[in-house]
Amino acid sequence: MAHKVCLIRGDGVGPELVAGVEVIFKAAKVDIDWIDVEAGLKCVEAGKPIVPEDTVAKIKEIGVGLKAPMTTPIGKGSVSPNVTLRKKLNLYACVRPVRSLPGIETPFKNLDIVIFRENTEDLYTQIEYMATETVAHSVKIISEQASEQIIRAAFEYARANGRKKVVGVHKANIMKIGDGLFLRTFNRVKADYPDIESWDNIVDNQCMQLVTKWHLYDILVMPNLYGDIVSDLAAGMMGGLGVAPGANYGHKCALFEAVHGSAPKYTGMNKVNPTALLLSGTLMLDHLGEHAARVNIEGALEATLKKGIKTYDLGGNATTSGFSEAVASELK
Amino acid sequence: MMTLHGVDVYLRTPSIPDLPKEFGPFSLTFISNRGSRVWPPPTPEMDLCDWQQCRFLSDNEVTGTQIDELVVHLSGLGWEWTKCQKLFKIDGDNAFSQPY
Repeated sequence: MAHKVCLIRGDGVGPELVAGVEVIFKAAKVDIDWIDVEAGLKCVEAGKPIVPEDTVAKIKEIGVGLKAPMTTPIGKGSVSPNVTLRKKLNLYACVRPVRSLPGIETPFKNLDIVIFRENTEDLYTQIEYMATETVAHSVKIISEQASEQIIRAAFEYARANGRKKVVGVHKANIMKIGDGLFLRTFNRVKADYPDIESWDNIVDNQCMQLVTKWHLYDILVMPNLYGDIVSDLAAGMMGGLGVAPGANYGHKCALFEAVHGSAPKYTGMNKVNPTALLLSGTLMLDHLGEHAARVNIEGALEATLKKGIKTYDLGGNATTSGFSEAVASELK
Repeated sequence: MMTLHGVDVYLRTPSIPDLPKEFGPFSLTFISNRGSRVWPPPTPEMDLCDWQQCRFLSDNEVTGTQIDELVVHLSGLGWEWTKCQKLFKIDGDNAFSQPY
């Protein structure tokens, strides 16, 4: 029976990337019943909320979604469609796996790290005030329950996927109350997982160690803002945002997304790398229990890259559709 | 110019509080939990922490005394506030964020 999946085609280059992924999934004979739902700039231009309530309701009903990049309108009062979806769907865990891919030369050989980013609080509550005419005040909220939820998710993922180490990342030496609560929670939860090696690092030191001793790290778990920054750093180590996938998990649904922007200046140019959305799609296949399809598609992607077929961001000249067709032709 | 228009009262309570919708010049405009609007409905399916941001706002300029009276009134109803933040406009523009 076909898997039902909600599909947000996105803004800018989003629809071109989705078309590429559809070609590859079709060639892999993955039985997906795509259900188009709308969100993003097109909704705003039509006078609707950036994420309409019926879109939220449909993703809740179906339980799984794949999302191409969307554009956050610039201007007073505009909100991010990505943050809106995370909040309205209670997607508390952002998971960003980064690993070396063949044919993509970086200084970071054998990179293989999974970053767990708390997705619902921290400075992303976006509660802000002007306290006086010259002083701004942003409220950082760290709760024990959200911290425990993401930390436990990281340890459970480690167990389920044969990973050996989980590192809690924080800045508790300075933010002794907020990050201190995250660190105390990490230390309490890790005691439940004696089979997993675990320790904590201060976020600035973690960044330095990522680019000097990346091979020491396996799973990193951290509050929202550090997760935002560190996962982009790690994406760069992998080869750039064009190849970095992302997944957001909640209790009742999961949303898979390329983490890069909608690149409006390249709209219609058939130029942008579909790999990030494709690898987000293969994470989705794993979530759906289609492990063989995931291995098959990722194998075809790696074979394509090994042949030197690459889009412009990786130094090649393949188009979005050309690259997608090359991957599709490698499928067994 | 900075003018006073309301207050965010943060209450320690595990669930969405049933508060007066009007008090003096103020209207209760929303309740949020960690920045996500939980009142008025629709309330997202989310894990609530025990700290609710309750925004009381007036279209017109108010006084500090009116805010004090509101907070005392809420305390008298049995609500435990842990933080209050006055809401200002600067040159007519809101100098405070909105919830999701």
